[in-house]
Amino acid sequence: MTCCHGWPARLAMTIALLAFTGPLAAQDSITVVSNGGSIADAQRTAFVVPFTKATGIRVVEDVFNQELAKIRTQVETKNIQWDVVSVTAINEATGCDEGLLEPVDWSRYLDAKQFEGVGGFGKCGVPHNFVSGGLAYDGDKIKDPPKSWADFWDVKKYPGKRGLLYRAEQTLEVALMADGVEPKDVMTILSGPGGVDRAFKKLAEIKPYVHWWKSGDESMQILLSGDVTMTYAWNGRVAAANKANNRNLKIAFAPGHVSGSQIYAIMKGTPKKELAIKYITFAAQPEPQAAFARAISYAPANEAAYKFMTDAEKATLPQGYLDRGSLQSGPVYFNFWLDKGDEVLQRFIKFAAQ
Amino acid sequence: MSRSTTGTSIAALVRKAELRRERRLLAIAAPAITFVLVFFVLPIGLFLFRSVDNPEVHGSLPRTLTALHQWDRTTLPDEQAFAALVADLRALRGKPELAMLARRLNYDVSGFRSVIIRSGRLAEQGLPPYRKWLIANEPAWGDVTYWGAIRNEASPLTDFYLLAAFDLRRLSNGSIAPASNENALFRDLFARTFWISFTVTVLCLIVGFPVAAVIAHARPKVANLLLILVLLPFWSSLLVRATAWIVLLQDEGLINQALIALGLIARPIRLVFNRIGLTIAMTHVLLPFMILPLYSVLRGIPQGQMRAAASLGAKPVIAFLRVYLPQALPGIVAGSTLVFVISLGYYVAPALVGGPRDQMIGYFVAYFTNSTVNWGMASALGTLLLVIVALIYAALARTIGLERLRAQ
Repeated sequence: MTCCHGWPARLAMTIALLAFTGPLAAQDSITVVSNGGSIADAQRTAFVVPFTKATGIRVVEDVFNQELAKIRTQVETKNIQWDVVSVTAINEATGCDEGLLEPVDWSRYLDAKQFEGVGGFGKCGVPHNFVSGGLAYDGDKIKDPPKSWADFWDVKKYPGKRGLLYRAEQTLEVALMADGVEPKDVMTILSGPGGVDRAFKKLAEIKPYVHWWKSGDESMQILLSGDVTMTYAWNGRVAAANKANNRNLKIAFAPGHVSGSQIYAIMKGTPKKELAIKYITFAAQPEPQAAFARAISYAPANEAAYKFMTDAEKATLPQGYLDRGSLQSGPVYFNFWLDKGDEVLQRFIKFAAQ
Repeated sequence: MSRSTTGTSIAALVRKAELRRERRLLAIAAPAITFVLVFFVLPIGLFLFRSVDNPEVHGSLPRTLTALHQWDRTTLPDEQAFAALVADLRALRGKPELAMLARRLNYDVSGFRSVIIRSGRLAEQGLPPYRKWLIANEPAWGDVTYWGAIRNEASPLTDFYLLAAFDLRRLSNGSIAPASNENALFRDLFARTFWISFTVTVLCLIVGFPVAAVIAHARPKVANLLLILVLLPFWSSLLVRATAWIVLLQDEGLINQALIALGLIARPIRLVFNRIGLTIAMTHVLLPFMILPLYSVLRGIPQGQMRAAASLGAKPVIAFLRVYLPQALPGIVAGSTLVFVISLGYYVAPALVGGPRDQMIGYFVAYFTNSTVNWGMASALGTLLLVIVALIYAALARTIGLERLRAQ
């Protein structure tokens, strides 16, 4: 440093150094984007930290609220700041269709069979978490557990109110299950002729007994307080409510559940595609999958992860009942809800208010 | 002569000084005015504009619209229109505009989204005659409903959202018809919003008036204490207060348990997640907005007047009705207007303590903004609400006088 005197020179040197080392360091880092909050915390402990430990690749985390527009701007301006994004199934399908996400043949890197239960790989990405809505009840109050959604509809056998989601999507699916439709056929029947009418007709039977809940918190609050005897609920919420209140709430998946994946996909045109594939492949392995599921109380997407989890942890997960789900994925599901979603919801809101 | 010159020059000087004073006041207020304009009026204006903004069809299907200009809206369009559509779709290939167009047209005809997406993919391989080819591959195009929707949305400004907010829609021939019974939602919703707001206003008045009167005529020490009690709820968040009501009112809550313990009821009565709970919670939250304006007016009514009325032989009721009440009127109007207008926009309380029969306009504005990202619809509902509030204010100003309203 004999050549340079005074702080301006030193500053210039520092900047020059940073400018040179910046891109070098960046080559061994990728940016992974999620919804933030508890999801980001789980992602850090289950995927990011072990990945960096194993590979030496640094992971920068960022947060987004599932706005496809933010992905679109980066791809279109070729100013890619993110590499891996965690998206909802519907965003993955749309983003993939619109050329915003990189299509990858994941069967080259992962065992496709382990992901069949959650509906397989996406067109572009890999599921990394699996959220299920099932039939929840208080295990201390109900000794003879409901075995089907028809039982849920049976207010003579199980007196009391019922909780259902104040939303057409998921609720109409459940109504068809109560009407005897096999979970795997629900979306076909619903999108077919007369399907929506049939679902509404079934809902009308139980409507006088329904407490329509609007948030996951509310669904647990009404069940914990005994306002409802049973409710449709998301499994992570049930696990969290049990933990926080030391209770014995149960969630049954055998009657049929409505489930969807959160998916890791790669930004179209990122220069770090290989690193991104490495990261996603790592996150999709059974052990990180189990760690993520443990942290967030939702199920792993990789079925092989279940063997790393305890029975207590698995109590609110749909293991063994993956074939009993109506999946929130696939062209039938997307086309129905994207085409008819607004109309059906408007009808639902009117129906619920009558 | 000289006197009058001085007179005018003094008048001119005064005018000048006043002008200067006004300018100075304006300069002092300038930051606030700019702030309001930039961060309040402008964004709201832009958002309201969305209720009529309609760039999608106009921008994405220019050729088709030209071809449809002379179309009779009843028979299927000719080959030229089909060729124009295919050309437009080819130009949209791989662009986000295609998805926006699909979404926009899906509002008009549900199912139009996938028709557009599929046709966008097909268009590449299309061969003339396009009419026969397109209908063979995507039968929807053989239905005038779809073409009618494109024609209806041709203009860069649309009445679609505002009509929808009145449960109306445009048919493919361009005429206006009521929305299907299953989907007619918004008239009921507006009526409900107004009815709830009205009930809450009346309850606030009934509960708030005596409180305001007591505070207004109490000794200063007592009055201050009471005022603090009125203001206290302001210091806790709306969310906390609404949740507190759930705890109190639920089936196994304090009130039901107390009533059962007293033997007044055998089984819990439904007090929350319905209209009862919502009305209680909203009245509680909005009470200060009634009490404070009332208090400020009632304080100005001399106590001696009531005694004078009594001494002249008026019964208490008559004295109240003919002496006290007329003077309290400006406060009643101001408080009621405030409570009513604030109630109209309520969103959190209905979402938390109301049931599906109790959701108000605000819930749907938030729903369309956040969940379905249908900003046109959100904006149309907001515009309508704003216009109605403006009309109410104008009507009040007319009957009671703007000065008396402003005096508060």
